[in-house]
Amino acid sequence: MRGEHLLKISVSGIRGVVGEFLTPALACAFGQAFGTYVGPGRVVIGRDTRSSGEMLQHAVTCGLLASGCEVIDVGVLPTPTIQVYVASGGARGGLAVTASHNPPEYNALKLFNARGLFLNSYERSELIDLYHQSEFRHATNDEIGQVRSDYRTPVKLHIQRVLEHVDAARIRSRRFRVALDAVNGAASVMACEFLREALGCELVAIHVDPARPFPRIAEPRPETLTELAALVRSAGCDVGFAQDPDADRLAVADETGRVLDNDDVLALVVEGVLERRRGDVVVNLTTSSAIDVIARRYGSRVWRTPVGEAHVVEQMLATGAVIGGEGSNGGVIFPAVHACRDSFTAMAFILDRMAATGEPVSSLAARLPRLWRRFGKVAFEHGRLGAMMQALEESFPGAQTDRSDGLKVIFDGAWVHVRASNTEPLVRLAAEADSPERLEELYGKVSRLLERA
Amino acid sequence: MAARSLRISHVGLRGVVGGGLTANHVIDFACAFGTLLEPRQAVVIGRDPRASGVMLREGVIAGLLATGHDVVDLGIVSTPVIQHTIRRHGAGGGVSIGASHNSAEWNALKFFGPGGIYLSTAEAGELLDIYHLRKFDLVAHDQVGKLRTETDAIGHYVSELAGHFDFERLRRFRIVVDCSNGTSSLILRELESRYQLQAIRINDRLEGIRFAHEPSTSREIVALQLAPLVKPLGADAGFLFDVDSDRVALATEEGEPVSEEMVLPLLADHLLPKGPGKLVITNISSTALLEEVAARHGGKVIRVPVGRQAAIDALTSYRPEQIAIVGEGTGAVMMPEFRFVYDGIAAMLAVLTMMAERGQRLSEILADYPRYSMLKAQLPLVSARMPELLMELQRDYSDGVVTRIDGLRIDWPGRWFHVRVSQTEPVIRIICEQRGDPPQELFEDLLERVRRLA
Repeated sequence: MRGEHLLKISVSGIRGVVGEFLTPALACAFGQAFGTYVGPGRVVIGRDTRSSGEMLQHAVTCGLLASGCEVIDVGVLPTPTIQVYVASGGARGGLAVTASHNPPEYNALKLFNARGLFLNSYERSELIDLYHQSEFRHATNDEIGQVRSDYRTPVKLHIQRVLEHVDAARIRSRRFRVALDAVNGAASVMACEFLREALGCELVAIHVDPARPFPRIAEPRPETLTELAALVRSAGCDVGFAQDPDADRLAVADETGRVLDNDDVLALVVEGVLERRRGDVVVNLTTSSAIDVIARRYGSRVWRTPVGEAHVVEQMLATGAVIGGEGSNGGVIFPAVHACRDSFTAMAFILDRMAATGEPVSSLAARLPRLWRRFGKVAFEHGRLGAMMQALEESFPGAQTDRSDGLKVIFDGAWVHVRASNTEPLVRLAAEADSPERLEELYGKVSRLLERA
Repeated sequence: MAARSLRISHVGLRGVVGGGLTANHVIDFACAFGTLLEPRQAVVIGRDPRASGVMLREGVIAGLLATGHDVVDLGIVSTPVIQHTIRRHGAGGGVSIGASHNSAEWNALKFFGPGGIYLSTAEAGELLDIYHLRKFDLVAHDQVGKLRTETDAIGHYVSELAGHFDFERLRRFRIVVDCSNGTSSLILRELESRYQLQAIRINDRLEGIRFAHEPSTSREIVALQLAPLVKPLGADAGFLFDVDSDRVALATEEGEPVSEEMVLPLLADHLLPKGPGKLVITNISSTALLEEVAARHGGKVIRVPVGRQAAIDALTSYRPEQIAIVGEGTGAVMMPEFRFVYDGIAAMLAVLTMMAERGQRLSEILADYPRYSMLKAQLPLVSARMPELLMELQRDYSDGVVTRIDGLRIDWPGRWFHVRVSQTEPVIRIICEQRGDPPQELFEDLLERVRRLA
């Protein structure tokens, strides 16, 4: 196998298979580039539970110290928790050593600025130029900073922030029975504390041992959560939650054990937020039109961005949106807590709605706009992408299109979105329609078209 | 970049942090060492208090974990403690992070094999080859090592010292110790609290940036702060350690600073009559008093090129029981009962034991040796001229006995000189020694010739 997909250094940062590809030398150099970029000062670093995380954290810390930064080690923590802590002040930036939902052999660095936000596209390209130029700051003995640890403050801060936006007393009074699958990830300890102690739930938890490997495919989707679904049923839970290894994403199972579409989870949260505060909504191009239907009810405007958390957050900050996210990825972004995907905020909002309405999750979900969705991927050869997109556009003459990330063709009551993956030579295909028949017809037509083009 | 701010050699990696030695060197060297060691064996690490040590530690940990080794981090400890812990754990090896007697802006990595022993020249050469090739055995994600910290390594080390030295007897001495802001202060505190050793410590705060003085064990440094305190405090002796406590220097109860050259002859005199070993291994730059001391006990001096590596290689050429002591003229000595580890603390305790056994004061013991006078100088190096220079000198002084294992040494009865190129600085080192008064005439003649030829 050729190595090109096993290591990727790009404007998205650095990601790869640990061992021959993502090496400590690379991580150290990237840490030194980051430290040079943010300047001498405090930098926060934490990680998820991957077996390579400790090694990479030390390599990055070495580079940060060499550039003259002081390092605050927050240990194993969810990505949103690290971001909240960075934003709480005093730090020049932060890093999370995590490959998020990717398989365990991968690892990566997520990069945050002083506000605890993902570096924006301009900052990222400056950083990557600095990395490639190898123009690092080299601190001398009297400029080298210390490493301090702070494992507890980020947890307290994040939980406290989330609780400010829900009626925690009401949630506690309901004593919900909650199933949790934390994939032995970064939230393993904190999610138990959050649900059990902060929200007074009766918790039935599986895969909450941070020392053990991921027990399932790390991405929380209906297909990967059969164990959680079974647990909800067998333990008679009101709801089931599943996180990914760095706990930015959340999947939800209703009281019957049915795992909701990730788009429906976002829709439930958006509905709950708009009910209480009016404002704009930002989602990516692949997110369900259910969001538009809900937003219209509250007179809110919906902005669409290219796929990727950084794009959504950038647009949310620019428009002052109150809620946003990435539907298919299970990411809820609520800037009043912090402008990042956050499974803890999402859990709190779902429980808050259950407590407020007294309704089970299944009936809350049943009232969402009814749409059918299908996702897939098609491999392509380099050089073929343009022709594929052109053929697609030409086959729907007169339809409304959006070219900001691949091609989205929009009809009344249906759409299809085709975009090239950032990491592999394949196109991702997403389609949605207001009936299953229409969906199958649209999806079938487009996938045949792509395979032929 | 300043000239000679980075040195990668058989001794390991050494450089000025930020000026020559970078994070990248550290990571690559640690990966190379992890590749050299037997797979999956634990590695013990520790550091001296230099501020940059934290950066080097992070890089060393990352490189070792990435090559599949578990890492045991001892924090700030002396090099002999690291070597002791490697053996105690049966670990695969160890890394000492610290630049010993160099000034604060320097740092270095020193590598140890199983049993805490120094790498042989062959092993060190292999390490360098792996480093230069940068073909490291980086393991898959689920084989990556784990880190743990250990805080009681000094305690275990001190327990071992207690097995060799009679603290009941040594605690009646009152000593003054200059810790040079280094790791010896931690060990001394443990010796004081557990065995009531009476030590008055100066410069005992661990310091990362500004050392109280250059951390060298030379007579000049002993004279600076330590020696003047010994007599007013009514102490029996003064001891000074370098930052990582593998070297020691002395001052007498009279407050007289003792030449660093004297540590080895003193302990050779103490150890030769005790064991079966009759060999003293040292380099060709240390005092000729050693031959006299060895002869008193029927011993023999083996002289090797200057530098730690030559002494380590020589060690393996003899059976351990043949050797009485190994050392340099810098105050670095290894004793058989400490498995030939350079250990300043053990050397100090051996000197105190000698005083106790003989019932003599330190100045009295020293007065028993004939006087030797040494003169040292250094001149700027012109590498290209060195071979001719040495050849010319050999021709000019053709009436002496020639040794060419490291530069040029010429011996006459009761008198010798040695001219060599330093391994750490771009200078020519010139040493002359004579039994009795200083060999002033020879020294000046020699300097004149070297100046002219270089």
